[in-house]
Amino acid sequence: MATGILSGKGRIWWIAALVVLCLVPLVLPRFYVYMLSIILLFGLLATSNDFPLGFGGIYQLHHAVFYGVGAYATAIVITKSGLSPWLAFLIGPIISAALGLVMGLICIRLSKLYFGMLQISLGSLVWAVVFRWYSFTGGDDGIHGIVVPDIISSYQGAYYFTLVVTGLSLYVMYRILKSPYGSVLQGIRDNPVRSAMIGVDVKRHQLLALIIAGFFAGIAGVLFVVVDNTVFPDMLFWTLSMETTIMCLLGGWLTFLGPMLGAAVLILVRTFVSTYTVYWGLALGIISGLVIFFMPNGVLGWLQDLFKHKTNLAEAKE
Amino acid sequence: MLQIKSLTKSFDGFKAVNNANLDVQKGEIVAVIGPNGAGKTTLFNLITGVLRPDSGEVLFKGDNITGLAPHEICRKRISRSFQVVNVFNRLSIFENTQISILSRERKTWNLFTPSSKLAVDETNELLRNVGLYERRDRISGALSHGDRKVLEIAMALGGNPEFLILDEPTAGMSPEETSRCIDLIQSLREKFGLTILFCEHDMEIVFGIASRIMVMVRGASIVQGTCEEVRCNEAVQDAYLGGSDVCLM
Amino acid sequence: MDATGILNQAFVGLSRTVILFIVSSGMSLILGVLRIPNIAHGSLYMIGAFMAFTISRIFGGGELGFWMALIGAPLVVAIISLFAERSIFQYLYEREHLMLLLLTFAFSLIIGDLVKIIWGGDYKSVPVPQTFQGFVPLIGGLPFPIYNLFLLVCGPIIAILLWLLVNKTKIGKIARAAAVDREMVSAVGINVGWVFASVFVIGCLLAGLGGALVAPTVSVTLGMDHTLIMEAFLIVIMGGLGNIWGALLGALIFGLAQSMGILIWPQFGIIFPYAAVIIVLLFRPAGLLKATW
Repeated sequence: MATGILSGKGRIWWIAALVVLCLVPLVLPRFYVYMLSIILLFGLLATSNDFPLGFGGIYQLHHAVFYGVGAYATAIVITKSGLSPWLAFLIGPIISAALGLVMGLICIRLSKLYFGMLQISLGSLVWAVVFRWYSFTGGDDGIHGIVVPDIISSYQGAYYFTLVVTGLSLYVMYRILKSPYGSVLQGIRDNPVRSAMIGVDVKRHQLLALIIAGFFAGIAGVLFVVVDNTVFPDMLFWTLSMETTIMCLLGGWLTFLGPMLGAAVLILVRTFVSTYTVYWGLALGIISGLVIFFMPNGVLGWLQDLFKHKTNLAEAKE
Repeated sequence: MLQIKSLTKSFDGFKAVNNANLDVQKGEIVAVIGPNGAGKTTLFNLITGVLRPDSGEVLFKGDNITGLAPHEICRKRISRSFQVVNVFNRLSIFENTQISILSRERKTWNLFTPSSKLAVDETNELLRNVGLYERRDRISGALSHGDRKVLEIAMALGGNPEFLILDEPTAGMSPEETSRCIDLIQSLREKFGLTILFCEHDMEIVFGIASRIMVMVRGASIVQGTCEEVRCNEAVQDAYLGGSDVCLM
Repeated sequence: MDATGILNQAFVGLSRTVILFIVSSGMSLILGVLRIPNIAHGSLYMIGAFMAFTISRIFGGGELGFWMALIGAPLVVAIISLFAERSIFQYLYEREHLMLLLLTFAFSLIIGDLVKIIWGGDYKSVPVPQTFQGFVPLIGGLPFPIYNLFLLVCGPIIAILLWLLVNKTKIGKIARAAAVDREMVSAVGINVGWVFASVFVIGCLLAGLGGALVAPTVSVTLGMDHTLIMEAFLIVIMGGLGNIWGALLGALIFGLAQSMGILIWPQFGIIFPYAAVIIVLLFRPAGLLKATW
């Protein structure tokens, strides 16, 4: 169960972290600010992936589709329609949430691995359409030089925008997990039979999880458009979905902040290994492999288990 | 209150439940007994919508509930506990029970109010009724077997049922735990006016609290009657004892 | 386009089907019997292709080179996979699918970079051997590559060999039983470990074989693992886990949908195979033919 991370003493750490994050653009050079923006938005993406995966027990194996579709929707609205970019920022997540609903309705009748495979098939179809529809989506080239409002077009502006939006989104997702719906969702993860038996319509509740996941993935897509001003077909490719899921596992897929931590680790590893060698895939593969093998609940999960073990020992002594 | 007519279910040609019949009146405690593999759990699964019958009907208070989904059956105020403990292992006793109550109160679509503020009093009251209040913050995966079985019952009660189905409620319990559980079941029945259908292997319990008994052998219901009728019934003796000339117990 | 053009395109699709079938059947065995969704299967296919390039070069690049590559590359992949199974995979048989999926994805990243390190980043090409060079006028006089004809002959042969292996040999029967109930089979005293290792190695060998066979027809590059693995995965699910004929059927549907799709709708033809998978899974969620679990 997601522990109460907003309680009491914890608050001080949060405020400190927030202050540090706000000061970053004033202190660090452009490259690091950009990287931090990327970490934040991928952390949001990974958290939205973990919403159905870690907290709902749903095999969300092709999450990147919603991210890519949200980004492309935003990009296309900005570049091809006369509408305000701020409106585009809203339209993106709404479309990805709608896609989440449609794909969810199709896939929900299956469970576990089969659900994941059907989602991959549907997602691959969407990718293929985006990849080929040159006139609408720019095809293989993608869309570049997307113009965003002046306030957020500088690298600092983009960073602050990302920080605020990510923070708000995470807060909303956290509240949802702490709500009755969140409890029921985790109940469905742990025991769908039991859940049905106490009156929960399992499929309907899972469907809502997919819509929420799609929505926040779309927001992450919007953030990428703001930070990088481009979209390209690889954003919808299944390898990105695998990487996102690895982020969840690395950090701890049963914890709320695990995916964010996993995103940070993955992106930092990739960035720093790339400066020394072209073979960052090797490094990433080795690190992920080791973590998955020895710490299946991720870093935060491992820490949590350690903490629980000590609490249980203390309790047993009473 | 509950009527089962000619219920049949096969798996790949094997008839797990074969033309079963059962009548339960309001306020009764009815037991289903039979040798292992007689189809008792399958019967419960058919009643509660976990499985669909091949043929036959299940009627509850006159309504045909055959083939309804489990969550719809729960809404009709039929609740069930499982033979193998089936709770939310990662959550605490309190959270487990709370979910059951929140589901009954139709609050499961609430996305924004923290759970910790909802249905607290009702959950605590229910936990006090079953005797789990002191341990309410323990993670259910780490409890003793007896406590977990009681939690099973608590979760079934969360739905405020009129009809309670208990699948081997005392299986695996120590003698003290068993007698405590039986007392609990009887007190709950009186307090909430429940009708109870259960199955057990412990004949003492069965003959101790059941008002009527249904005997299942190889998927078919061979007899339904009071304790006396069942005890000395020849067919039952054949099934259990291979035809020796004694009354059961 | 007329009938002969369509038929010709269909035959081209069939040649691709053969490769898809060979790789998918290997994956189906591993997923169906060992319950491991092996994303690195595509990487083994890629190693098969690159090894074919190297072995062919060692033997002079001509006729001899090709045949040595055809035998050698799958063998190398088999040896690598035996090592992997004994050292890592044999401890993974009871793990959750999600973990295995991501773990094998991590392996595919590692292998991908190892291939880059060993062979470099450029295209490699494997020459078509002399006997199979050239074209024959096949349907309505349209030229059809002889090598593709060779593939079309290989396909059914391998299918029959596999079917014999799975259904008529002792090891095949044990494997199928163990797929359903591993404990029962061990309890009867059979060394399940070696059976599983064999299934794993054979499955991987098929991937390598697919890579070696496809090498003369495409540019051997990095990234060929990523395109193929998803196709193989979808074919396996579509056909039914662990079912060889299912893999054949799935590969047929996928391959033909691909080639016919491009013919009918050149711009978006590539969505046809995915659409086919979706339709199949909607009506037969467990796959077209009987799965092992």
